[in-house]
Amino acid sequence: MASEDARYRETSQFEAWSFSPSQLAAMREKTNSLARQRITERILSSASNPLAPASNNTSHANTPDPSGNGTPNPNENGAPTLPDFLKPEEEALLISFYTSELLRAADHLGVPDEVRATATVFFRRFFLTNSIMTYPPQEMILVALFVGSKAEGRFPRVVEFQQRFNTKQDILAGEFLLAQGNRFNFEVRHPFRALMGAMMELRSYGDIDEQRIQAAEKRAHEILLSSPLMTDAYFHYTPSQIMFAALSLADRGLAERLIQETFHFVPPTTNSDSTPAATPLPGSDSLGTARKEGGGKGTMTNDERAAIIGTGIRDKVMGTIEACRNMLSSELPERKSHWTSESIFKSQIRPVRKKLLKCRDPDRWNLSELQRQRREQGLRREDSEERAAASNGNKDAAIFGGDLPAGAPEKKRRKVGGNGLEDPFGDPL
Amino acid sequence: MANSPLVARPTDALQPSKPLPSSSGGTPSGGLPRSARGQRIAAEARPTMDLMEQMNEDEKNKYIKGKKLGEGTYANVYLGHSCLDASVKVAIKKIKVQKEYQDGIAPDAIREMKYLQKLRGHANIIILHSVFSSKDQNLNLVLEYLPLGDLEMLIRDVDHVRYGAADIKAWMGMLTRAVWWCHDNYVLHRDIKPNNLLIAADGEVKLADFGLARSFADPGVRMTANVITRWYRPPELLFGARHYSGAVDIWSVGLVFAELIIRAPYLPGNSEVEQIALICREIGTPTEENWPGVTQLKEYTVPSDVTPVAGKDKYMGRFGAVGSDGVDLLAKTLILDPRRRITAREMLEHRWWKADPKPTPKYDLPKKTAGAEEKAAADLKRRNGMAEDDDVRGSKVARKLDFGAAR
Repeated sequence: MASEDARYRETSQFEAWSFSPSQLAAMREKTNSLARQRITERILSSASNPLAPASNNTSHANTPDPSGNGTPNPNENGAPTLPDFLKPEEEALLISFYTSELLRAADHLGVPDEVRATATVFFRRFFLTNSIMTYPPQEMILVALFVGSKAEGRFPRVVEFQQRFNTKQDILAGEFLLAQGNRFNFEVRHPFRALMGAMMELRSYGDIDEQRIQAAEKRAHEILLSSPLMTDAYFHYTPSQIMFAALSLADRGLAERLIQETFHFVPPTTNSDSTPAATPLPGSDSLGTARKEGGGKGTMTNDERAAIIGTGIRDKVMGTIEACRNMLSSELPERKSHWTSESIFKSQIRPVRKKLLKCRDPDRWNLSELQRQRREQGLRREDSEERAAASNGNKDAAIFGGDLPAGAPEKKRRKVGGNGLEDPFGDPL
Repeated sequence: MANSPLVARPTDALQPSKPLPSSSGGTPSGGLPRSARGQRIAAEARPTMDLMEQMNEDEKNKYIKGKKLGEGTYANVYLGHSCLDASVKVAIKKIKVQKEYQDGIAPDAIREMKYLQKLRGHANIIILHSVFSSKDQNLNLVLEYLPLGDLEMLIRDVDHVRYGAADIKAWMGMLTRAVWWCHDNYVLHRDIKPNNLLIAADGEVKLADFGLARSFADPGVRMTANVITRWYRPPELLFGARHYSGAVDIWSVGLVFAELIIRAPYLPGNSEVEQIALICREIGTPTEENWPGVTQLKEYTVPSDVTPVAGKDKYMGRFGAVGSDGVDLLAKTLILDPRRRITAREMLEHRWWKADPKPTPKYDLPKKTAGAEEKAAADLKRRNGMAEDDDVRGSKVARKLDFGAAR
């Protein structure tokens, strides 16, 4: 049986969605430059008549403005001027703004912590490989909340969302996109349970004032609901590291105590017959249990112990948590007022938003239209595929005893669907 | 405390941010900046793709779709194989847009993807290799290809398939390990039954169909009682319990065990009332004595004539083929009180596995070949968590899932 750490390394969160800061920056850069390129192509191809020479088209497509300041690119043949594109840092600013909007929407819905956090992570993951110039961030907020609810086992109705937000937005038009942009990785691990566990552990020490524990939990929880979601913490740190960082911001002493108690092992300086005092008591007991659960064979050597729960590791862990803490501290819950401030909006957000409206993707920005086109395209292709496979299909029928009666189960299914209406997928959010 | 992440001491506390460059680097070079020459042609053949679309295309191109194995209202199943290695066969389950679910990607598809991703890496859980979307925005689940049908087929084919205690032990071992893995990862399957236990080419049994699965609920969060196909549904769910544990799956495991032995469903109730009556008659009437608190469950009703809990003798008469130890294990899976029912882990530590006869090696297990492929496809294209022909099975699982779980 693998340890929780080993299991975490099997998750898509680690395998597909953990990056170093430089990797993350490179991806965002890439997404931004690709979007410029694609949007340029699309603007030109939709504006130019079908007979426009190919060379005209390609010359621009392959020369995205390298200076990054998006100066209009006047076309010598009289084609439309290209818009001023968003720079990566402008995209980042807007993503932060829309993330804060998402959190506000989550507050408005009153969703559980996991839904809130999963939706935010989905949103930020989506805009890692997609530019906000390509897909509309405002609409993706509701889509992320909708899909986030589903991923956490709550299945809201679309109409419910539309009513709650008083919108006619076709939420489903973006659902598939968002799921695809998340590579269908619906599981997101969060720090909330880790915090509960840490509190249990702290209480088990027996010498910490209950009020202090409660205060720390409350504050840490509040931080978890905001700071890691507003920053890139989920891309860089594990849920438990995020939890420790939040706890450290809430009560540094308690976080350090937990870490000290966990990584307590000091290898005996002499031989194995050293005094029992060399191995702190509280740890040796729980270590034994953990080892049994871990299915490890035989006893661990001191070196092995030191590599897992030694003080050397402790210092590294503390370093990681400190770095995460720094990241979280840039977006403490109180910073919400920054993002909702009218003056900030006017001075910082609105200008970039205006810019965005001018450089958005002509083909993709309208999600409903995009979905309609994709469906049609797909169906046409599907039809031709089916026709081509028809002869094969007949062969299959001969082997497997004919087609299954598709009509009969269909009818039954409708009946089931009808019954389902009594219980329209659970309580309102 | 068992759930505390702090209990299991970290083996490697440092998490170096080390993503897999191949899967996530986000820089698939193929198809991205194309040379000026030939762009026009390329663009017509394949419209320019975004990073996300390119990644999806790459995923899709890893597999070659072959003939259709089956067509259902919920999904079509195709045979396929890996591009890199044609011997790696896969089943591509293309989920259709569902008419009766108006709210986008259906819950069962979401659950299946989520939990198969979460549980991957265990020999007795069906592998989800990949998910990609086809042009018309349909989901395609690339699953491990399991050509030898399911346990239900073997159980039912009394005329052609013979098997004994050693075979049952092998199958039960694989099932129990699968369920242990689910529970150890805090996942409830909630639809264990013989036709969700598919058989791989090498005889390995794989738990499939995670369309009703969910994670363990946090304390105080209510879950729906309306899960698990009726014949395999434990008494706590029949009584409407909204807080429950892995014990619900264990009860189903016990009934699969019983069914393997007697080669017929052990408790085939035609309605919930009848199901409860059968449980009372065969296993014993749940009372405050054998299950403290049971009478508080919302839908607790039992026949007035109280049957005492069955002793080992009663089980020996019917299930003696697996020996005294086997019967002991069976009885422990069918303990009425879910808190006292054996856990998956305890099952694995039971002495039966070590007693004679030894479990049959998987390659030597009885197999059925005729019609197995068809059946396997039928299992996959079935709507998750639901038998296609309810009337024949007489045991549909309720679809009225409480998706909202009160908070």
